[in-house]
Amino acid sequence: MNAHRSAIAWLTSWWQLLQFAALLLTRAMAPSSYRRDNRRMLSEQIVVATTGNLAWFSVLCALISLVIIRIVVVTSASYGLSRYALEMVVRVLVLELVPLTAALFVALRTTLPVGVEFVQQRLAGHAPDARAALRTQFYPRAAAGVFAVWMLAAVSCLLTLVLAYLMMYGFTPWALPGYTRVVGQIFNPAVCLILVLKIVFFSLAVAVIPLASSYYTGASSPLRRIRVAHGLADMVRMFSVILVVEAASLMGNYY
Amino acid sequence: MALLVLLVALVLGAILYLMYARGAFEPTQRLVLTADDSEGVTVGMDVTFAGFPIGRVQRIELAPDGKARILVDVPNTDAHWLRTSSIFTLEKSLVGGAKLRAFTGIPADPPLPPDAERALLVGDMAAEIPRLLQSAKDLLNNLAALTAEESALGTSLRNVQGVTEKLNGPGGAIGVLAGEDQKARELLRNANSLVVKADSLVGNADKRVFGDKGLANDTQAAVQQLNALLADARNSLKKLDAVLVEAQAVGANTRAATEDLSALRAEVDANLRKVEQMINELNRKWPFKRSEPEIKLP
Repeated sequence: MNAHRSAIAWLTSWWQLLQFAALLLTRAMAPSSYRRDNRRMLSEQIVVATTGNLAWFSVLCALISLVIIRIVVVTSASYGLSRYALEMVVRVLVLELVPLTAALFVALRTTLPVGVEFVQQRLAGHAPDARAALRTQFYPRAAAGVFAVWMLAAVSCLLTLVLAYLMMYGFTPWALPGYTRVVGQIFNPAVCLILVLKIVFFSLAVAVIPLASSYYTGASSPLRRIRVAHGLADMVRMFSVILVVEAASLMGNYY
Repeated sequence: MALLVLLVALVLGAILYLMYARGAFEPTQRLVLTADDSEGVTVGMDVTFAGFPIGRVQRIELAPDGKARILVDVPNTDAHWLRTSSIFTLEKSLVGGAKLRAFTGIPADPPLPPDAERALLVGDMAAEIPRLLQSAKDLLNNLAALTAEESALGTSLRNVQGVTEKLNGPGGAIGVLAGEDQKARELLRNANSLVVKADSLVGNADKRVFGDKGLANDTQAAVQQLNALLADARNSLKKLDAVLVEAQAVGANTRAATEDLSALRAEVDANLRKVEQMINELNRKWPFKRSEPEIKLP
C-alpha cells in the first residue's frame, strides 16, 4: 500500500513538473511577461545569473579544455594518429563535455539555490501567492537560467574551438583552412541540430526542475514538505533528466 | 541587453562560420565517380589532390547497373586542378578511413567539364593481406624444404664438407682433383716428367732460334737486304721527281705556245682578207673578164 502511494506521489510530481513547464512556456509566450514593470526584474535576473557565472565558468572551462586537449594531442601523436586528434577534441569537448558542464554549473550556482530559497520563503509563510508570483518571480528566474546556460555553452564552445586551434597549430593563421575544413566535416546538419537541441533541453531542465517543486509547495502534505525541504530530490531529478538528454544526444550522434 | 546582443552575435557568427566551413558560399561543380564498391566512402569526406582537399563527397547512390555512384562537389576555385586525363583512386589503409585521391598527370589537358563521370580505381590494403600471407607461407615452405635433412642443399653442404676435409688432408687440392691418394701421387710424378721434358724442349727451341745459323741471324740478314732495297727505291723515286719537273716545264711551254697561236691566227686571218681583196681587185681589173671560174682561195 505504501509502495502504491509513493508511486502515485512520484507520478504526480512528474505530472506537476510537466504542468509547471507548460505554465512557464505560456508565460514566455505572453506579452505581459515583458511589460515595463516586469522587464526590469527579468533583465536583472538574466544579468545576475549570466555575468556571475560567465567569467568563472570561462576560466574553468579553458583550464580543463587545455588539459584535455593537451592529453589528446600528446597521446594521439605518440600513436601516430595526430590527424584524428582535432576531430576527437572537438567531438569530446565541444559536442559533449562543455554543454554538460555549462548546464551543471548554472544549476549548482544559480537555479538550485533559487529553488531552495523559494521553498524556504514559502514554508516561512511570507511569500506571495504562487500564481501571482509566476510572472514576477518564477518566470524571470527560469528565463535567466535558460539564458545563462545558452550563453555559457556558446561562449565556452567557441573558446574551446579557439583553444584547440591554438594548442594544435600555435599562433599561425596558415592552418585555418584545414581547421575550418575539419570543423565543417564534424558539424554536419544532424550534429548541429542535436547540439542545439541538447543545449535547449539542458537549459530547460536546469531552469524548470528546481523551481517546480517550490511552486507546488503551498498547500502540501508534511511528507512532501520534508522531501522538498532539503532540495536533494530536485537535484537528483534534474541530474537524471540531464543524463537522459545526454544519452539521447549520444545515441543521435553515434547510432 | 548587451548580453542578448552578444549571444545573438555568437550564435549567428557560429552559424555563418559553420556554413562557410561546409562550403555553403562556394560555387561548385559536380563530379561523379563510379566504383564497384564504395565501402569506406562517407558523405562529407574529402577528395584530395597532392594532399590538399579540393572536393567533398555530397552523396553516394547505387546506380541501376549495380555500381556505386559517388557524387562529389568540387569548388570552382579548385576545379582547374582536375583535367580530362585525371584519374581518381580510393585507397583503404589498415588504420584510419579510406581516402579519395585525384591525380593529374598532364596539367595542360583541357579542364574537366562539370558533371563528368569517371571510374574510381580502388586500392585495398586489407585485401592484399591474405595474398601476402599466402605468398609468405609458400616462401616459408620452400625454405623448409630447402633446409630439410635430405634436401639437395643439405647433401651439397655435406659434399662440400668432405671436399674441405680432403683439402686439409695429405693430398691437398691435387688429392681433391684426382680422387685417391695413389692416383694423386702418380699424377704428380707424371707432371714432374712432363715439366722435365718441357724444359728440354725449351732449350732446343732456344738453340734453334738464337744459336749459330739460328732463325734470328737469318732474319737479321734479310732485314739488311731490305734496307738496301729501300735505298734503291728512294733513288728511283728521286729520278721520277726530276722527270716530273721537266714535264711541268713542257706544260708551261705549251701554254705559251697556245697563247702565241691565237695571235698567229689573227695575222693569218688579216692576210687572207688582204689576199681576197687583191683577188677581187684583180677580177675587176682583169681585161678579159670571163665567166670562167675565178681563182678560188682555199
